[in-house]
Amino acid sequence: MAISSFVLWALRWSEFDLAVLLGSGDRFVEFFSRLVPPDWSVSKLVFRSTIETLMIAIAGTAVAVVFSLPLGFLAASNVSPPWISHPVKWLLGFIRSIPLIVVAMLFVAAVGLGPFPGMLAIAFHSVGMLGKFYAEEFETAEKGILDAVSGTGATWSQTLRYGLWPQSIPQVVAFTVYRLEMNFRDAAVLGLVGAGGVGYYILLYVRGFQYEKVAVLLAVIIGVVLMLDNLTFWVRRWVR
Amino acid sequence: MTVIELDSVHVLYGSSLALDIEHLEIGAGERVFVLGHSGSGKTTLARLIKGRLRPSSGTVRVLGRDPASARDRRRRQRRVAMIDQEYFLVPRLTAVENVLQGALGRVPPWMSFFGIYPRTEWIEAESVLAEVELDGLGHRRVETLSGGQKQRTAIARALMQQADIILADEPVSALDPELAEDALELLVACVARREVTLLVDLHQPELARRYATRFLGLAQGRLVYDGSPEGFTDEIAELVYRGRPSDEATGSDLASPRPPLDVQETSHVDVETGLATANPRSDIRLVGD
Repeated sequence: MAISSFVLWALRWSEFDLAVLLGSGDRFVEFFSRLVPPDWSVSKLVFRSTIETLMIAIAGTAVAVVFSLPLGFLAASNVSPPWISHPVKWLLGFIRSIPLIVVAMLFVAAVGLGPFPGMLAIAFHSVGMLGKFYAEEFETAEKGILDAVSGTGATWSQTLRYGLWPQSIPQVVAFTVYRLEMNFRDAAVLGLVGAGGVGYYILLYVRGFQYEKVAVLLAVIIGVVLMLDNLTFWVRRWVR
Repeated sequence: MTVIELDSVHVLYGSSLALDIEHLEIGAGERVFVLGHSGSGKTTLARLIKGRLRPSSGTVRVLGRDPASARDRRRRQRRVAMIDQEYFLVPRLTAVENVLQGALGRVPPWMSFFGIYPRTEWIEAESVLAEVELDGLGHRRVETLSGGQKQRTAIARALMQQADIILADEPVSALDPELAEDALELLVACVARREVTLLVDLHQPELARRYATRFLGLAQGRLVYDGSPEGFTDEIAELVYRGRPSDEATGSDLASPRPPLDVQETSHVDVETGLATANPRSDIRLVGD
C-alpha cells in the first residue's frame, strides 16, 4: 500500500498524463513515417562514427577494469579492513553520483574535443559502477574457501588469486561485458557534448530534421547493440 | 615431543562458553580422535589449533608457537593442514589445481600469481592424487566430482601442504558409511606414511576406534575423556554424547538432578553421577590418574 502510494506520488511528480500520451499517437506516426526511406548515402560516415563510439566504449571499459579490480578488492569488506573498505566504497559512490554527461563536459574542457575525453569519461564513470559490482561480488565469496586457501600458508595476494578470484570470475566477466554494452549506449550520446562518436551526428541530423539520416543512425546503432548482446552472451557462456 | 599444548583455555562466543580446557598436550605422531556431539566444542578446538580463532583466555601453543600470532604466519599456517567438513575446494578449478594450492605456502607469490608452479610441485601434486586414488581425474573440475572424490581431493591438498599436523573436522560426515570408512582408512594410511600428527573430529566412536591411538571426549566444551580408545566405554560414550552416563550404568532415574560427575582415564564411571546442566561450567570435569 505504502509502495503503491509512493509510486503514484512519483508519477504525479513526473507530470504523468495518460490523455496526453494517448493523444500523441499521430505525432509518433508522423515521426516514424519521416524515417523512411532511410538515406543510405550517409551510411559510410555513420558506420565510421559508430565504430569510433564502439572503440570509445571498449577502451573506456578496459581502462575502467584496470582501476575497478583493485578498487573492488579494497572495497570488499571480507578481504579488506573496514578502515580501507569504507572509504573506498564512499569514493566509488562519489564517482557514480556524478552524471556521465557532466563528467564528459569536464573532460572536454580539460583535454579538448574528440574521442579521447569521451573515453576518459566512460572509464571514469564505469569505475564507480564496476568497482561497486566487483566489491559486492567478492563479498559473496565463500569464506570457508578463503580460510582454506589462506590456511595452506598462502599470502594475502595468493588467497585473493586462488580463493577469491576463481569464485568470482564468472560474475566479474558478466558484469564487465554488460557494462561494455551499456558503455556503448552511453558513448553514443557523448558526441552531444563534443566527446566524439556517433552522438555528434545524432545531434546534427535531429536538429536539422533529417530523419532519413537518423534512420540510418538508428539502424547501425541497433545492429551494433545486437551484435554486442550476442557477443556478451557467448562470453558469459564461455566463462562459467 | 609435544606439538600441541593448551593451558587454561576458555573460548567464549558472546556470553556462552564454547570451550573450557584446563590442560591438554598432544605429542608428535599421535592419531587423536576427538569425539562429541554437535556443539560440544570439537570444531572450536580444531580452529584454535589452526589459529583461526584466539582463545578468550589461556594459551595455545602449536609446534612451540602461538598459532594465531601474525608473526611468521605463512610458515606456521603451512605446518598445520586442515581438512574441513565441507572440504572448501574451489569448484571451478580442477582437482590438480586445488591440490596445488597446498603448495602455496612454499611457492613464491609472484610465481603463483601468474599460475606458475615449479615442475617439482606438479609432480608432487600428481603423485599425491595417485596416493588418494584419484589418478587420471586431476584434470576434472571439482564441481564435476562425486562427494567421495571431493573428499579425497581435500585430503590430497592437505597432504600436498607437507604439514607436521593434519586436522580433520568431521571429514567424512557427508559420506555414506562405506565411503566414510574408506576415506578415513585412506587418510590414516597417508598420515602414517608421513608420520605426522593427526587430530580428527568425529561423531562415530566405533569408526574412530579402528584408527586412533588416543581419544578425547568433549561435552559442552569440556574435556570429559582423555585416554585410550579401549577405555572409551559405552558409559563414557553416553556421557560424551548425552552429557550423562547410561541408564544401565547408573541404574538410576536420569530425570532427577544429580551431584557432579568425575570420570577417570580408565573409564571408571562413578555411579553417583549427575545430569550435565545447561551451564557448561557446571558439573563435568576430568580427573587425572
